[in-house]
Amino acid sequence: MTEAKPVAVGVEASAIVSELRGLGVDHVICIPDSYQKTLIAALRDDPSIRFITACTEDEAMGINAGLYMGGKNPMLVIQNNGIFASINTIKAIPLDARIPTFVFVGQYQRDPMVPIEESRSRAVRMVEPTLDVWGVPHWRLEGPDDIGNIRAAYERAHETMGPAALIVGAPTL
Amino acid sequence: MERNEAIEILAEGRGDAVSVVTMQSVYPWHQAGQGEIFHVDASQCMGSASSIGLGLAVARPDKKVMVLDGDGSLLMQLGSLVTIAGQSPANLYHFVFANGLHQSTGNQPLPAIGQFDWVALAKGAGYADALRIEAAEDLLERLPGIFAMTGPVLIELTIEREDREPLWAGVPMAKQTALLKEQLAASS
Repeated sequence: MTEAKPVAVGVEASAIVSELRGLGVDHVICIPDSYQKTLIAALRDDPSIRFITACTEDEAMGINAGLYMGGKNPMLVIQNNGIFASINTIKAIPLDARIPTFVFVGQYQRDPMVPIEESRSRAVRMVEPTLDVWGVPHWRLEGPDDIGNIRAAYERAHETMGPAALIVGAPTL
Repeated sequence: MERNEAIEILAEGRGDAVSVVTMQSVYPWHQAGQGEIFHVDASQCMGSASSIGLGLAVARPDKKVMVLDGDGSLLMQLGSLVTIAGQSPANLYHFVFANGLHQSTGNQPLPAIGQFDWVALAKGAGYADALRIEAAEDLLERLPGIFAMTGPVLIELTIEREDREPLWAGVPMAKQTALLKEQLAASS
């Protein structure tokens, strides 16, 4: 009997941080997420990054805008429910005000053994369709082979002066 | 005090501070000639002015940042008081135009008017200081001292009810954000 393989596997936080350093990210605004626990810890400890904990995703997008206008290179770390919570701000700031908004979105409550589309969690299933409705481009981080998607999302956010999301599909290691 | 009195005094005392303005203070701020330099409106994102101001203050600690917020607006992202306090931006001055009303939608009253206290909320959140100013002459006299304080400071301005249609400056926020980024880069 063959053992079932996971659809998504975690990526080492150190590898992600290395990518972010390469992109020159200097500020991280975070609403805590259980799927990115190790990444959040690594970012918090990184002396080259100022780590800002906000109370809501709405705030995080406003802070991101202020930092960007002030010449910094920020990003957001949030969870899937935060996308649903902040749609009005996504409309107003990243989209209408044309602010590059590079966001990691943890797939909270996703079972990595199950494809996203078949998840029992509505939040897991609906986050990508929600982003599609609003025209927010997104990439998946389903394992170490997807590490290049970090740069792809970052570059799209800055090329289009708008939002771009990386969907983190398994707990970071 | 009347909103326009407060706007005139703040415009006069602003110096080269970066301004973030929202809701019904946007139009008079532009009318006072403050919309072209070091400025951005927080448009269509009610509640976000304080967070945008925080980002600017963190990014540019060499610049004073003044946020002209509304009381109804700030209530929509009240947690931003705590987020701001957590970063302790010494250069952030948070003016709250408090008329107890959602003026932009027809002067509907805010919840719990007369029961909550902006000064207590800001101090309780961890702001360095907070004060209330009720009269225009007091604002005029105290403003230089306020800008000499170490932030974050919340200044509640008691604003009289206005019975008029809402006014908007109509300047796209995208145009302002690009200009402000450019101006700040040139001033470093």
